Amino acid sequence: MMKRLPLSIALLFLTLTSLPLAAQDWIKTGTGLGVEKIRIAAPDFRGSVEAQTIQYDKTFNDVLWSDLEQAGIFDMVSKSFYPLGQFAQPADIKPEAWSVEPPNASMVAFGNIALDAGNVSVQGWLYDVKNPQNAQVLAKQYRETASADNVRVIAHRFANEIIFRLGGGVNGITDTHIYFVRHAAGAKEIWKMDYDGYGQKAITKFGSISLSPRVTPDGSRIAFASMYGGGWNILMYSTDLNRSLTFPKFGGTNLSPAWSSDGMHLAFSSSRAGFPNIYVSDQNGNGLRQLTNGKGPDVSPVWNPKTNAQIAFVSGRTGLPQIYVMDADGTNPQRLTDDGYAVSPSWSPNGQFLTFAWIRHYGPGAPGAQDIYIMDVASRQWVQLTHDSGRNDFPSWSPDGRHVVYQSNKNGSDQIWTMLADGNQQHPLTTSGVNSQPNWGAK
Amino acid sequence: MVMAITLHVILFATAVAGPYLLKANPGENWGGSDIGGDAINASLVSNIPLPAQQGTNVLATESKGLTVSQPKPEEKTPEAVALPDKNARVKASKSTTATRLKPPTEKIPEVAPNAIPYGQGGPVSGPYGSFSTSNAKGGFGFNNGGDFGSRFAWYVDQVRRKVSDNWMKYEIDPSLSNARRVYIDFDINRNGEPQNIRVGQSSGVPSLDQSAVRALQRIDTFGPLPPQYPGNKVSVEFWFDYRR
Amino acid sequence: MEDEVNHRTKWFVLSLALALILVGSACQKKVAPPPPPPPPPPPQPTATISVSPESILKGQSATLTWSSQNANDINIDGIGKVDAQGSQSVTPGASATYHLVAKGPGGSADATARLTVTVPPPPPPPPPPAQVNDDDLFAQNVKDVFFDYDKYDIRADGQGAIQANASFMQAHPNVKITIEGHCDERGSTEYNLALGDNRANAAKSALVSAGVSADRIKTISYGKEKPVCTESTETCWQQNRRAHFVYGQR
Repeated sequence: MMKRLPLSIALLFLTLTSLPLAAQDWIKTGTGLGVEKIRIAAPDFRGSVEAQTIQYDKTFNDVLWSDLEQAGIFDMVSKSFYPLGQFAQPADIKPEAWSVEPPNASMVAFGNIALDAGNVSVQGWLYDVKNPQNAQVLAKQYRETASADNVRVIAHRFANEIIFRLGGGVNGITDTHIYFVRHAAGAKEIWKMDYDGYGQKAITKFGSISLSPRVTPDGSRIAFASMYGGGWNILMYSTDLNRSLTFPKFGGTNLSPAWSSDGMHLAFSSSRAGFPNIYVSDQNGNGLRQLTNGKGPDVSPVWNPKTNAQIAFVSGRTGLPQIYVMDADGTNPQRLTDDGYAVSPSWSPNGQFLTFAWIRHYGPGAPGAQDIYIMDVASRQWVQLTHDSGRNDFPSWSPDGRHVVYQSNKNGSDQIWTMLADGNQQHPLTTSGVNSQPNWGAK
Repeated sequence: MVMAITLHVILFATAVAGPYLLKANPGENWGGSDIGGDAINASLVSNIPLPAQQGTNVLATESKGLTVSQPKPEEKTPEAVALPDKNARVKASKSTTATRLKPPTEKIPEVAPNAIPYGQGGPVSGPYGSFSTSNAKGGFGFNNGGDFGSRFAWYVDQVRRKVSDNWMKYEIDPSLSNARRVYIDFDINRNGEPQNIRVGQSSGVPSLDQSAVRALQRIDTFGPLPPQYPGNKVSVEFWFDYRR
Repeated sequence: MEDEVNHRTKWFVLSLALALILVGSACQKKVAPPPPPPPPPPPQPTATISVSPESILKGQSATLTWSSQNANDINIDGIGKVDAQGSQSVTPGASATYHLVAKGPGGSADATARLTVTVPPPPPPPPPPAQVNDDDLFAQNVKDVFFDYDKYDIRADGQGAIQANASFMQAHPNVKITIEGHCDERGSTEYNLALGDNRANAAKSALVSAGVSADRIKTISYGKEKPVCTESTETCWQQNRRAHFVYGQR
């Protein structure tokens, strides 16, 4: 009888504390982040004794670690808890050393990296050390021409295999790219970088103001709004051919293009008929249809990527801008936000959530920070992800639905930041120049 | 000693207050003051809303428990007694008598008198596949007890996590008060997609059953089945208990 | 003897005459007795004429230079009789060809020189009365319209500006303008571009209502991309929330 008491009190405690957790749980589950993280260890991959491999070792290990750490589903076991030794082959792994404290790991990712004849070769394994009888989950081998960039590619690939296997079959983001706007010398250009901020480079060099890049789901084209060529038009750029493609000029001010998830349609804002309204055309700009009317201003449409049957957008029709959602034919518009200043919606890949920027308490004289929020579209429940005094804007979902990239000036100037979709692990991807309006591509 | 006295006092209070509270919920027909008397066995049997699916071994366990004489205030323990009956499946259940005999003290500290007592038993599917979250406890069985669970523990973990994550408690009727364990059966195909989702044994509460089914329907994939597994699919039995 | 002399003389004269006849006839074949030579023919006149520079702008002058020889009658078309040589300044209104004819006893000769006159672009046609051709005039008389936060309706002070601008536009019927819509730095890039569009269009509509023809007005939005000031103060913000009128249409 005495033994039961602590359990009963524990149960009581669970009952009482269940309610506050529920609010955050639906975010974690809906985004695939999961309430429970997998404890994974990733000891350094080592090369053979040759000094040559050392230069690539660090790159590989840093990238692999960073990819796993940022995946959102792992609890990284600190390297200071690892058993001593080299872990280049399966024979080097003693599960009982890893599965108990201090490492207390569930999974270990290990392997070796070698240089030969101008190529870099990597062997990698993933072991379930809690189940030594059947420990091997993955065994992979990679080989590319030796270069620092290729070593990054291999590390990204191996990390993605691990994330795919242990994350319930959802492809990771390790080889995806983010498109954004770089401000320089009075102009704004479209740039691109790896999902982790590496390899930032220019795509347009128009010397004009180009904004709101949106890449197609297959990564082949970027649509954006630009003053290049006179007036505001939707321009189209081919990443395959590295040049602009022709796209119709509709007249009026044309802004904020958004692709349907099948790449077949483009939604955007146009004032060709007098006021900024939401329009849809096919991918070549034909078949133009007006979806909203009235004075707007209506802007920033985004498709429900799961169904392509709904479009969310921003409208100032009642005053301060609010988030609306309507059917993809323009019928049945519904207002989602109740107050404040709400802009820049982005729809999660599973169709469940919108993320957007919101100043909840808005008015002249009110300090009102602008923060990133997530809202469950069906239930209208929302959660605030950033709690900063600055201005956060233009959130964009990652293709795995677990991350949000956004723009923040909390370090003094507008930069691109990234975080898990539950608000954790916020950190900047850009630190130099002024950068804004990120768009996370699937490729 | 102090603890014992305190608990007895609480017991007495519950004994006094119990009938009143029970009367206030016409939906419940636990064996209560309406019946009264010593014919506990008979009245309990007739008043517990056992569905037709209950097997004989359920009654066996029940009668086992009732052979233990308990003081009158502990008549409330039939609620505890009833639960394993409801939760046990027609399949051979593991012994739950020990847990059934948990003293009423376990129930008494509960905040709401209509809270569902916490089920402790149920089919044990091995070291793989059981879980407990803030207000649920559940477990999985794979391939009717085959070695899938031990060979691919990491995959089982994944299934467990995903189902647990996707179970939206707010879908359950907020006034839920009386429910048995729910069993859901489904298959996982090569691509990791849950299929043939069906209620193996109902909890008796449609919203609870539906929340469990929907949890599975919400899942697009658990991830492809391990390449080393030769079969085209895996059969899964999934149970859980809900506690608000 | 006398007979002998006469006989001899006769024979001499006859021989001489015969010789002469013979010679004379022979001379006629080989060496005609030159006709009485005409007086040596007078030399052929020569003439040259040139102009320098060969190309001028209208209103400028060039120098015509000519010379002739063996002529006593020298004429240049368009100028008249001139001396045998000389130079003269000419200021033709258009390209011209100077044709010199030199006549003399020996004949005549002529020469030409071409002068190209480039006409500078004509000055703009004299504008109809009251045409604006001065940006300052525009800037002095055409005013920006200012807006409240997140609004694009024309305030009372904006109405005054619209009326003044409309009057100016009507007084200068050839003026075309562009209205730029701007927003303050608060608020989001995309939304501000759309709001700026509404502001520009609202100002245009107001002008059209006040009688200005719509095809004289283009609109464009700059959102918060081109602020006139960057302080985070209400004063600066108000300055940026504007419909800005610009002369001309690009």
